[in-house]
Amino acid sequence: MTAPTPARRIDWLMVAAVALMTAAFVRAIYFTPPDRLQGMAQKIFYVHLPSAWVAFLAFGLTAIAGGVWLFIKDPRLDRFAESSAEVGVIFTTGVLISGPLWGKPIWGAWWVWDARLTLTLFLWFLYLGYLVLRGAVDDREARARYSAVVGILGALLIPFIHLSVYLFRTQHPTPIVANPTGIQMPAVMITTLFLALGAFTVLYMALVRQRMALAAERDALLDASTAES
Amino acid sequence: MPENAIYYQVAYGALIAMFVGYALSIRLRRAAIARKRAAMEQSR
Repeated sequence: MTAPTPARRIDWLMVAAVALMTAAFVRAIYFTPPDRLQGMAQKIFYVHLPSAWVAFLAFGLTAIAGGVWLFIKDPRLDRFAESSAEVGVIFTTGVLISGPLWGKPIWGAWWVWDARLTLTLFLWFLYLGYLVLRGAVDDREARARYSAVVGILGALLIPFIHLSVYLFRTQHPTPIVANPTGIQMPAVMITTLFLALGAFTVLYMALVRQRMALAAERDALLDASTAES
Repeated sequence: MPENAIYYQVAYGALIAMFVGYALSIRLRRAAIARKRAAMEQSR
């Protein structure tokens, strides 16, 4: 009997991510009351903030993995950085989709060019450029080195984005969870938010693990075809 | 209370579609690599 291929094995981390995401969406939709002032549109918050958290986590870890790669040159770190950046772009896209969908009913505008929104858009473009750069460089070591530098420089935007609501006059609300005066929300909403934060984080881990497997299989195929020719 | 449920429904739907689409794209790319690998091993 042959051993099952990796693609046919059950990915328990992905199963856990799907279960947690389902629980988070069901709780947000059916078991969390709408906001008195914002109405049902406030429920966007339960996907917007977790998407932003995961995007920052993904790009922060991309920078760290790239930085460590510059010293120890382990290809697994480069594959992790590549995977985390790609997944980070997906979650940033989630931020840029959910934000305007909240802005239209609450601010009356899909988009305003204030500091936080504009910097988030720059972050998205920057890591899109990171992925394009990776695709444009064939040499594996040069690709890892260039992308490590871009990954580190890109992550420098993250603290500015977080602090932008304090540093600049901005329309975006100040943080609700990471607020110096404490969490500004009722307990029922906080529970939903933390469930969503956990679910999105586990989904990030599951997607990065799958994306790393893809990168490893691609590199192995390239090595095999190089050895053959 | 404002009636604006459509905005969160669209947001949730779009995010679910995006995550499912991305996970599917990884699976399809891995399948394509596996096919190439199998073809290469067959041609040996």
